[in-house]
Amino acid sequence: MAPTRRAFLAAASGLLGTALLGTSGCGRGSYLTPEGTLSLWYWNRSISDTLLGKAPKAVGVPFVPQKIGSDYKSKFLTSLAGRAYVPDIVGLNDDVATYFPNSDEFIDLYELGAKDVESEYLQWKWARGVTPEGRMIGFPMDTGPTALFYRPDLFEQAGLPTEPDEVAAKLDTWEAYLEAGSQLVEALPKTKMLPNIPSTVYTQALAQQATRYLDEKNKFIGDGPQVKQAWDLAVEANRRKLSANADDWSTDWNAAMSTGRIATFVGAVWAGQILSDGANDTKGKWRVCRAPGGAGNAGGSFLGITKYCRDPEAAFKVISWLQSPENQLVYGLNEMKLYPAAISSIEDPRGQHKDPFFGGQVSNDVFATSAKEVKPVYLSPYDNVINPAFISELTNVWSAGKNPDAAWNDALTEVNRQLSHLGLI
Amino acid sequence: MATTSIAANAGKDPGAAARAATGRKRSEYFSLYLAISPFYILFAVFGLFPILFSAYLSFQSWNGIGDMKFVGFAQYQFMLSDQFFWKSIVNTFQIWFISTIPMLFFALVIAFMLNQQMLRGRSAYRIAYFIPNVTSIVAIAIIFGSIFSNQFGLINAGLQAIGADSIEWLNTPWGIKIAIAAMVIWRWTGYNAIIYLAGLQAIPTELYEAARVDGASWVQVFFRITIPMLRPIILFTVITSTIGGMQLFAEPQVLVGNSGGPGNEGQTMVLYLYEQAFIKNQFGYGAAIGWGLFVIMILFSLINWRLVQGAGTRGLRRGARA
Repeated sequence: MAPTRRAFLAAASGLLGTALLGTSGCGRGSYLTPEGTLSLWYWNRSISDTLLGKAPKAVGVPFVPQKIGSDYKSKFLTSLAGRAYVPDIVGLNDDVATYFPNSDEFIDLYELGAKDVESEYLQWKWARGVTPEGRMIGFPMDTGPTALFYRPDLFEQAGLPTEPDEVAAKLDTWEAYLEAGSQLVEALPKTKMLPNIPSTVYTQALAQQATRYLDEKNKFIGDGPQVKQAWDLAVEANRRKLSANADDWSTDWNAAMSTGRIATFVGAVWAGQILSDGANDTKGKWRVCRAPGGAGNAGGSFLGITKYCRDPEAAFKVISWLQSPENQLVYGLNEMKLYPAAISSIEDPRGQHKDPFFGGQVSNDVFATSAKEVKPVYLSPYDNVINPAFISELTNVWSAGKNPDAAWNDALTEVNRQLSHLGLI
Repeated sequence: MATTSIAANAGKDPGAAARAATGRKRSEYFSLYLAISPFYILFAVFGLFPILFSAYLSFQSWNGIGDMKFVGFAQYQFMLSDQFFWKSIVNTFQIWFISTIPMLFFALVIAFMLNQQMLRGRSAYRIAYFIPNVTSIVAIAIIFGSIFSNQFGLINAGLQAIGADSIEWLNTPWGIKIAIAAMVIWRWTGYNAIIYLAGLQAIPTELYEAARVDGASWVQVFFRITIPMLRPIILFTVITSTIGGMQLFAEPQVLVGNSGGPGNEGQTMVLYLYEQAFIKNQFGYGAAIGWGLFVIMILFSLINWRLVQGAGTRGLRRGARA
């Protein structure tokens, strides 16, 4: 009996030892893919899989794309914190600025020759991947230029213009937009002008500004006019009862869009895709035109090279090929409906399609103009901490009828508390 | 085998035998420790280390990537003055209260009915009641989102059909909590019913037969035999659903998002921790919240333990007498 047990224990300890050795093997020298290859992390629908399939051959760099499922950012942060299994190339979302305080975790793309192609891309988009110190950590992928999505049939019933150019001309400012909204809800009592005030008024109006919450020295400027104006517009939209109070992309949002209870919303180009998925019954009933208040951007992503990258030159070749103007057009815009950051791909006739969901309108016209007019703005690493304070107080205004002035003061108090916690004031 | 060989050697050289015995014992112990070591090693790596590290982390300011900065008790000071932290605690207890009581009540009734001898296709029912527990939480959230939807939800359709005003469930403080509690109830009632069923089957049938002979009604049987005999099991489910309720996370997250919906009314303690650490990248503060929760759970467990101890032994004694 004893030898059997001893053999079993020996086998067990052997297994355990192997397991321990296996885990202790991951030091600084641990990579996701074998020597001589590069790893690239991206999330679903951020890069065309067709394009990725062609890439290693076309660029001449053997790299392995790895589509990362849920909790993308947590997984990336974990690999950075552990200094092991860090991807060589990594997709970064529109919160790229949260990496600015640790920009030394990335390789400065300017050092790899990014300057040579800078003029090919939208300047404001390019600038968002560059830290205030001038280190470039994110190469432009897609963008999210905004426009006004509206229902001409409902506009007609309310006595408003219906053609995109006329609508854009009449509803050129937010004030005019809200005024038209009052006209619409009066004529059509069952319909609301817009889905909700925090994201389709406040966020969108703020996205059109040239400044936001912090300046480039990370000093708080969020009590300035750029924020207060957007706030006041949202409060005014609420006062006029223009909002359907349906959260973006919620069940209510889909239902309200399908049944024509919401006549307009200001949103990014990708919102059109969500709309056509969620409210396909309304195909042909929607149009797009320039947004009130001017051009803005919501969303969009970047590609970065981490400092753990084994061959930065090759990695940069991969990035600049994947996101070349031609590939952004063919595989980004036309295949994946990812709006390009390269100027020539926005203007290219091959990207100008008549969109049946918008009644045959060439919607790209509108988004191209918007994309080119977005004002450069500094997005700080701490916007993800500051913004929720304003959104949450605006929500109190519409959902609980909180006094807007009290809500504004409470938002500033909360921001103050958060900033002092972060050690910024 | 080892003991016999030692006994055989014992007569010849007691000292050597003793040395051999301790040597033998040590290697014997060693192999025993080795045999149980996988658990302790895994626990050390995935349990003990994270606990100690989070204690260390709670005194630092860290965004998850760069260098940590020692801040002393600043995170704890911030936490005590953080109205959202306190709000998340209140939310958690409110949701726990309105979900646990109906859940355990329904579970008991279902188990009692499933235990009836005359019921046909009992295993089918058991499986049916257990299915919600193994259903994907995201799928459940989509369904409950449609049921409680503010304007076009199923419940509001029902309310309008009978002429009542619709309620914006996911915009009102109690609406959010009721929706979350409903998800918890739906998901865990079957699970608790199966546990109760096991408890019911352990009750000797003689008791029921005796009660029937004495002419007891169903209600009397339920309250005089079933409940007292089941008391230890009930206490077990109270404790497990308390633990589950304090850790409530996935339900509110998928139903109303990371910030807990309008007014943070659906933000539970663990959801708040998650939001601070993984959405706002304040890992030091997240760790401090974790230790705040630890203290609260200790306090709550002490109260629970006192209650359970008194009631538990009483239940057992009564059970023994019966």
